[in-house]
Amino acid sequence: MYSRTIFIFLVVSMDSIASAQENAASEKPEADGIAWFETHIRPLLVQRCYACHSLKAGKQEGGLLLDSPDAWTRGGDRGAAVVAGDPDASLLIRAVHYNDPDLLMPPTERLNDEDIAKFDAWVRMGAPAPATADANVIENPSDPIAGKSHWAFLRLTRPMVPAVQNQEWARSDIDRFVLAKLEAENLHPVADAAAIELVRRTSFQLVGLPPTETQIQQFQELPIPQAMERLVDELLASPQFGQRWGRHWLDLARYADSNGLDENFLFREAWRYRNWVIDAVNADLPFDRFLMEQLAGDLLPYETLDQRDRQRIAAGFLVVGPKVLLGVNPDRQRMDVADEQLESISRAVLAQTVGCARCHDHKFDPIPTADYYAMAGILTSTKVMEQRYMLGEQRVMERLAGLGEQGDQLNAAYETYWRERPGKNARMEKVKAVLEVLKQADETAIAAKLASDADGFAETAKDASQPKESRLAAQEALLKKLQDLLANPPQIPPRAMMPMDLETPVNETIRIAGKFDAPGETTQRGFLRVLYDDAITPLPDKQSGRIEFAQWLTDGSRRSGQLTARVQANRIWHHLLGRGLVRTVDNFGRTGETPSHPELLDYLASELIQDGWSFKKLIRRIVLSRTFALNSHYEPANSDKDPENIRLWRANRRRLDPESLRDSMLAAAGTLELAPMESTVAYLGDQATAVGSNPVRRKTDYNCRSVYLPVIRNDLPEIFEAFDFTNPHTTTGARPKTTVPTQGLFMLNDAMVMATAEITARRILSETASQPMETRIQRMFQLIVSDGANDNEQQAMLSYLQQTESRLQTAGDAEASLKALAMACHALFASSRFQYLE
Amino acid sequence: MNCFNFYNSMNRRSMLARSAAGFAQVGLAAMAGQAALQAGAASMNTVDRLPHFAASAKRVIFLFMWGGPSHVDLFDYKPRLNDFAGKAVTPEAFGGRQPPGGTILGSPFKYQQHGQSGVWISELFPNVAKHADRMCVIRSMHTDGSAHGEALLNLHTGNSNLVRPSVGAWVSYGLGGESENLPGFVTISPPRGHGGVQNYGSAFLPAVHQGTAIGSAETPIANARMANISNPKIDRSAQREQLDLIQALNQQHLRKSVADQGIEGLIASYELAYRMQSTVPQILSLADESPETLKLYGVDAQPTDNFARQCLLARKFAEKGVRYIQVSTDYTWDHHTRNNEGLVKECAQVDKPIAGLLTDLQQRGMLEDTLVVWGSEFGRTPTVENGDGRNHHPAAFTMWMAGGGVKGGLTYGSTDDFGFHPVENPMHMHDFHATLLYALGLDHKRLTFRHAGRDFRLTDIFGNVATELFEHRA
Repeated sequence: MYSRTIFIFLVVSMDSIASAQENAASEKPEADGIAWFETHIRPLLVQRCYACHSLKAGKQEGGLLLDSPDAWTRGGDRGAAVVAGDPDASLLIRAVHYNDPDLLMPPTERLNDEDIAKFDAWVRMGAPAPATADANVIENPSDPIAGKSHWAFLRLTRPMVPAVQNQEWARSDIDRFVLAKLEAENLHPVADAAAIELVRRTSFQLVGLPPTETQIQQFQELPIPQAMERLVDELLASPQFGQRWGRHWLDLARYADSNGLDENFLFREAWRYRNWVIDAVNADLPFDRFLMEQLAGDLLPYETLDQRDRQRIAAGFLVVGPKVLLGVNPDRQRMDVADEQLESISRAVLAQTVGCARCHDHKFDPIPTADYYAMAGILTSTKVMEQRYMLGEQRVMERLAGLGEQGDQLNAAYETYWRERPGKNARMEKVKAVLEVLKQADETAIAAKLASDADGFAETAKDASQPKESRLAAQEALLKKLQDLLANPPQIPPRAMMPMDLETPVNETIRIAGKFDAPGETTQRGFLRVLYDDAITPLPDKQSGRIEFAQWLTDGSRRSGQLTARVQANRIWHHLLGRGLVRTVDNFGRTGETPSHPELLDYLASELIQDGWSFKKLIRRIVLSRTFALNSHYEPANSDKDPENIRLWRANRRRLDPESLRDSMLAAAGTLELAPMESTVAYLGDQATAVGSNPVRRKTDYNCRSVYLPVIRNDLPEIFEAFDFTNPHTTTGARPKTTVPTQGLFMLNDAMVMATAEITARRILSETASQPMETRIQRMFQLIVSDGANDNEQQAMLSYLQQTESRLQTAGDAEASLKALAMACHALFASSRFQYLE
Repeated sequence: MNCFNFYNSMNRRSMLARSAAGFAQVGLAAMAGQAALQAGAASMNTVDRLPHFAASAKRVIFLFMWGGPSHVDLFDYKPRLNDFAGKAVTPEAFGGRQPPGGTILGSPFKYQQHGQSGVWISELFPNVAKHADRMCVIRSMHTDGSAHGEALLNLHTGNSNLVRPSVGAWVSYGLGGESENLPGFVTISPPRGHGGVQNYGSAFLPAVHQGTAIGSAETPIANARMANISNPKIDRSAQREQLDLIQALNQQHLRKSVADQGIEGLIASYELAYRMQSTVPQILSLADESPETLKLYGVDAQPTDNFARQCLLARKFAEKGVRYIQVSTDYTWDHHTRNNEGLVKECAQVDKPIAGLLTDLQQRGMLEDTLVVWGSEFGRTPTVENGDGRNHHPAAFTMWMAGGGVKGGLTYGSTDDFGFHPVENPMHMHDFHATLLYALGLDHKRLTFRHAGRDFRLTDIFGNVATELFEHRA
């Protein structure tokens, strides 16, 4: 039996009443009864009935199933639920009207009048439905009308906070949602994490760094809830917050400093976009605005040049993807680029695999090919490539725009210089040759030269009446001028990777089987029909439609924006708790998983919209919950019932990502620099990974935070490569988690790790001069794992240090203490104690 | 697909822990057995049995000629080229059809039939030609991508505009390694450009299947190392003491955490890393090889030394149980100019080492279950470029295989009289991939991995197996 407390969820859809009336008025039910069923009835069945009356749920309360016409005609223990055309004889109608005290359905809460009216109308129509209405059997998976009943596409509910038995435990509504499910399954939350575990966990999750000694000390001065509030507010306000949470978005934005794929040209300007993301996250730019600037920053109005430039840089999101650059048909390239953008946007924002519908209607999700090309049209109406001269030839490259007051002119001048340079070079050769002829002073030869290569002459040099010296001087002056020009190319002006709209937007044709050269029917630019609430508004004639696209994606009053809110709230939960409420964070389609806590997910998504799309506010809510503060201890009784911790009875123990791993080693050594960095790839040539010997490779020996290290596609820093950094070619919401021996080899043998360990050892020695070894060990643990060593750890360390120091001394090593301590620090870096968060 | 159902049904963390402990047992084939043990035989109806077919090969050595050698000068004999040298092909000579434009570049190289089977091989491969009766020459290859990058990615991953697992990663995923101490996929001297690591990456497959690189194309293999395989400062015994400390700390942590598969995996992965530090350098050292073997490959002789060492390493990795080994030349076959001089030079560097590898495998009884593949990203035009060069030609080219159950002495497919297009039995790169997996007992349609909501496979929705390339298989 269900516990009464969990299933109380009150549906208050924000504008369902208005839209139901509009829909009912605008559609003729008799015209397409099945479509009407799919739009209005199936969502109600799924949302309000199937938990107790469907094969999928495995529940047949009262002997009744409601997942096919057969089933509802047959009815349950009391008789037929639906008698087509006869509402009075249909028990379902009687039940939803709440008139019969013995038959009140759904039991938790009466449907609103509009929904009841829909059921009445439907039965009166003759209860039209596909032969199998069963949610498991989807006859036409790509049908966007039927697809509206998939859980992710339903309107957000505003679930009532459930009542819980243990009133003391919960600190917030989030906790009550979690606890209600735990109690229902007779699971018990473990104890709270120790203060030191909690402060370390919180610091890493919010800023990607170990807590400072002051933070640890202050944390221990207050009771945990207050201490958490103080710490969390401090961390959310610190510039390091954006350096971590900006990186989460950069994973989705497939950010990189080079193109990757076939020709790995450098993205010299991409860093500006990276830093824009970090700044925007620090400023808590509301997500709707954050997305708008990235999809359409180049089209938005601005008040200052600075604002224009920031928006230009933000729009680099569309340009920074990988592209096949050589030997590709331009039409195909246009479609491929739009595909890459569309896949990235739909996966990052909506957790939908829209790219699957490029060649055929989606096999699983309600995304027909027509919808794919409707959206692709927005992006093919946007230009992100341009002709530029690079590495000795004219190429089609990512589009750049100048920044600053003179930006556009400087950019044009720079491009002109390189375009004209080969011509200037050829002319210089001619000028040289003419100079030689002039020196000979053979007028016949000069005349011949003048006839063939007039542009190789200085004006005065052409004039035979001038004295030889003047002609030579003029010619030499011209040569010098050209040589100077060639020797002094203009500086690269500040530029941003920026898209622009085509002069005339295009409505794309469907490409048969995805082939760029097999056009089918034309589709009007638009969005996903499964997420349309009302009639389709045509996109503007004069613009690509990117502004409207961004608005549609983040309109919290529509199902499109509500899906976005679910997806983003789930991503935040995933980062903070180590796993999403929907574990397939990038796939909310039918092949993805369903939410473990659907009411909590809707609650979080609603809060996100109501808080004006503030990520910081939602993060704060979650981090201050008691759920976040649990310890990670194993508990056999819970584990037997819920071995994967789906119900959140404990915290998930997590491994440090490569950025935190590296940054916290440098922090222990005291060498980490927190200041933002500009470009870390400026020294590289135009080919980020050249074919053949490549003397200039990307560097990693900065002391900056890892978020600023070069992200060269196909040539990542070694620590990123080893420790499951994102693949920067594609949108990644959940990085892989692997444990492989290359990680062990890296930790045991990498030069940076050892050098950092040695600096840490020097720091410890200087801070604990003439103190006993035990003090050094405690200091080492404080610096590296933010905690003291326990007795066993202390003992293991002590005997290692004594043994190693004496071995080195015996070998005559003058720095035996230092080296032994460095090896011990190195060992602690390699340990699970350091690499895992409790 | 079924593979994924099964994958999901396992406790993923225990699988991770196992891959950390050793490379064998990570492939689907090995895991399927384990799953059956865990779940009882009844559940096997949802599990694809692996291998899908009886395999004729247990491993692959892929010899990659980076840049695209000219097929018409090496394996696809076209006597009519010289009739038209310096001229455009006429429609009469092209069966009445419109021939591709451009002027033909004749081939000065003499062809001869070799072995009892009479496979045509040009004089540039005199040593390889001695193995003619073991070779199955596919003259009807074609692929997508007229630029190197695109074609390299298609060759290695079956796709150029999306990041997909490499062939070797798929093989490792399907079969796992045979060795506990070595990865399933090793790539010797891989290219850094034209897709670089993407050509041996695992993409969405578990990272344990990605190719382990030994050196890179532009570095002489004698100087190449595997990254972080030894410690520059700490000697072996001191490192063991240090590792004992690390593991003592880890064990402490594990005891406190009770049963944490992540920490268990970490502990196991350190032991494996430590063991690899002795196994890998042993393989990379040629000190134990006999002078006869070194001579057979052309080690310590020029111009063969570098490629000879690579091929010999490939045999050593194969012997130790690596499933998929790729050997790459440097970017030397891109003969836009001086095609003939270039071919003479490059063939001289690889001919003897390749022949040596085939002989060595044969002598050790390994050739019968080792599939050796020779090939490139594309071929070169029958027409001239820059006076004496040839341009890229993805429309037709030659690859060959030997060992691993393929029919020796077989010439499969053909091109038109000039080598422009396949005429008989065209084999697209997808078909080639499907056929390669078939040799290993893997059905390219059933070797799938669920990622981002759908099942992916090496051949996407394409690929036909050329079963006729193989000796009769039970």
